[in-house]
Amino acid sequence: METLTMLLHGFYISIMPINLLACTIGVLIGTLVGVLPGIDTISAIALLLPFSYGMNSTAALIMFAGIYYGSKYGGSTTAILMNVPGEAASVVTCMDGYPMAQKGRGGAALTVAAIGSFIAGTIGVIGLTMFAPPLAQAALSFGPPEYFAIALVGLIVLTKLTGTSLLKSALMALTGIMLGTIGLDSLSGISRFTFGVAELDRGFDLSILAMGIFGIGEILTVMTKPNTQNNVPAVRFRDLYPTSEEGRRSVAPMFRGGVIGFLIGLLPGPAGTISSFTSYALEKRCSKNPAEFGHGAIEGVAGPESANNSAISATMIPLLTLGLPFCGGTAILLSGFMIHGIIPGPALITQQPDLFWGLIASMYIGNLLLLIINLPLVGIFIQLLKTPLNLLMPLVAVLTLTGAYSINNSVFDLMWIIFFGIIGFFLRRTGLEPAPLIIGIVVGPELEQGLIQGLIICDGNIWGIFTRPLSGTILVLGLVFILYHTIRWLSKVNHLREEVSS
Amino acid sequence: MPKKALILLTTCLLLISILIGGCNDIQSKATTTTPQYPTKPITIIVPFSAGGGLDLTARALEKMAPKYLGQPFVIVNKPGGAGTIGWNELSSASPDGYTLGLSSVDLLILPLYGPTKYHYPTALEPLVQVSTSSFIMIVQAEQPWQNLNDVITYAKQHPAQLKFGHSGIGSPSHIIGETLAKDAGITLEQVPFRGASEVTVALLGKHVQIAFINPATAKEHIKNGTLRALATTGEQRLTDPDLAYIPTFKEQGFNIVLNNWHGLAAPKGLPPEAKTKLAEGLKAIVSDPEFKTNVENLGMQVEYLDPRESTEKWLTDGENSAKTVQKTGILDLIKAQKN
Repeated sequence: METLTMLLHGFYISIMPINLLACTIGVLIGTLVGVLPGIDTISAIALLLPFSYGMNSTAALIMFAGIYYGSKYGGSTTAILMNVPGEAASVVTCMDGYPMAQKGRGGAALTVAAIGSFIAGTIGVIGLTMFAPPLAQAALSFGPPEYFAIALVGLIVLTKLTGTSLLKSALMALTGIMLGTIGLDSLSGISRFTFGVAELDRGFDLSILAMGIFGIGEILTVMTKPNTQNNVPAVRFRDLYPTSEEGRRSVAPMFRGGVIGFLIGLLPGPAGTISSFTSYALEKRCSKNPAEFGHGAIEGVAGPESANNSAISATMIPLLTLGLPFCGGTAILLSGFMIHGIIPGPALITQQPDLFWGLIASMYIGNLLLLIINLPLVGIFIQLLKTPLNLLMPLVAVLTLTGAYSINNSVFDLMWIIFFGIIGFFLRRTGLEPAPLIIGIVVGPELEQGLIQGLIICDGNIWGIFTRPLSGTILVLGLVFILYHTIRWLSKVNHLREEVSS
Repeated sequence: MPKKALILLTTCLLLISILIGGCNDIQSKATTTTPQYPTKPITIIVPFSAGGGLDLTARALEKMAPKYLGQPFVIVNKPGGAGTIGWNELSSASPDGYTLGLSSVDLLILPLYGPTKYHYPTALEPLVQVSTSSFIMIVQAEQPWQNLNDVITYAKQHPAQLKFGHSGIGSPSHIIGETLAKDAGITLEQVPFRGASEVTVALLGKHVQIAFINPATAKEHIKNGTLRALATTGEQRLTDPDLAYIPTFKEQGFNIVLNNWHGLAAPKGLPPEAKTKLAEGLKAIVSDPEFKTNVENLGMQVEYLDPRESTEKWLTDGENSAKTVQKTGILDLIKAQKN
């Protein structure tokens, strides 16, 4: 009850004209950052930090938070329409969103993505309102051994994400893990696999890889096609929005995605990307006809797009209640707080109730604003498909390269993004699915770090990781998963044998 | 005829005006160009990503630059490789005073562990120092240890049980932990993390028992009573009233002094005029009360050192760190991993 009163007070603060304006500006910038491929949320906020010195601190933080969660709304736009993910978290959306657009259901995919983002974003904010302090405490009981266990099980579960052979997927995931080891390793203090090239010390940024392999790779693929006219069926106004059938099928994935994304967002690491992949895997298992996935299943858009939004809300929990950022996005928000002399921490709720509740209430409002902004945009974006690809794709390439440059201000990165684009192009040609590569590069470093730290914490005894209650449970779940699939596979083989012999 | 005269007159006028204009320009070039530095925006390389401690110091400077230097700062983040990528770029930049970079104690420590592309302490020259901060040693508040001695006694009674978290092998926080273990004659297992917030998370979750980090990250948890600070690494105690009660290592009988500092550095060979102008302007920035507030918000203390004092500090800090990484065996640890 007290929470509700405080929240109402928060709404009172967040609808003050200055704060409402800040929220609107924030989500507008966020939408723009999300839609433009490659433009990175962190650099966008960093660019605006100095302008906020003169602003009222509550308004400034409402604006920064708006950019942060707003940027996750539009990320799927280019993924669905052009198969070019705007950020690493949207890689998954390409897999079913783009086939949908090819069938003329691009409008429906965009609408479902926007509504799913709104529903899951709101689920996330409700979670943040109700359970922030206890959840933050729960998240703390996960230490390096647990991160290792989660990463290991996650790798096993997520690798077989797409329909092709398990061997190919596993190979791609392993390659991803290998790529993830390149660079200066802060755990050992040495450069690995850099061959003395100083610029390689930075390692490969996840966004660079994702935009290269998927974005530039797709652009190159389009270039090789003789027909530059988009052969997408003309979209009538009625077709812009989902049919009742599509709507019905999207509801459950949105809520499932919202919950799973929220839980993943509580843990360190790139929560947006991991949650969208996990949600995709979950939807594929929940679906009655998993064969449709990869060919335009609306669940494959609704789930992941929802998951990454509630993950974003959840990442605010450790930031606001512990003052500790678990990912890059919240790290830059923390800087925003500190610039205004506010150090978030356990005392924030009691000492700065206006700020805390105003910020949270603004997230409800911001999510609603984002829905209102994004739904009419669907109609505009869908018009993009009428542009001939020989005009559209070079434009997208320029935007992607500009965005890629802005991440580290590095020309070196531009070389890599093109290199990975060519790799991506050939991967498509050879039928190797590049999505597990992204999983490898996301999960690999967590796996390694968790193992190294976990082993030190468990006094060098690997069984220590298995006997800790939390990590043990997670590992056992992973084992059950493997056993279940082995048994199913064996029985399938037996079945086939019987059929052949009879 | 009058037409011809008119043309002649116009030509003469034009010629004269060009001459005068030209002379004027030459004159201004001869007498005022150098003192007028800077005539265009100054690029500031921050070798870490946006939002880090060094980046925020840069942005606090950026805010004041137009007022005191007459030109804006343009901040360019060049993150990666623990700062090496940005400092490499700074080392190779032209020393014309229009490319400067943020400096921190790390640029003295990095070259100790192996050859970097440039040897930063010699390839760069210090301009000024703007702020410093000590590190603090923290433990969980529910542990029975009330001071440094309690920890050492416990470690002696329970050998190889205590683990400390730090922000990466070879980082200042690692150096402090190993120095303490060496000086006190105890074993502390080191657990590497990526940055201070990961260390704090592990400490709060009781996965490690001790951490050495910057005060800003832990301050709220110390005030809240979940963490306890036992020592700071400064010569003097911290000035922050909330943390001023923490005794220094020196007071507790350990000669562990290691401060992080933020400053500006330039590629070697900066024109003396530019250097003087920058030093003056930056001194004015650092004395501005608004800058002081902004820096204190970041958990640092304002401490201006002019170019000469900064050079001395680079020398002494470099020498001390070289000795320490040798003595504590950190250098051997890193070298061993390289082979």
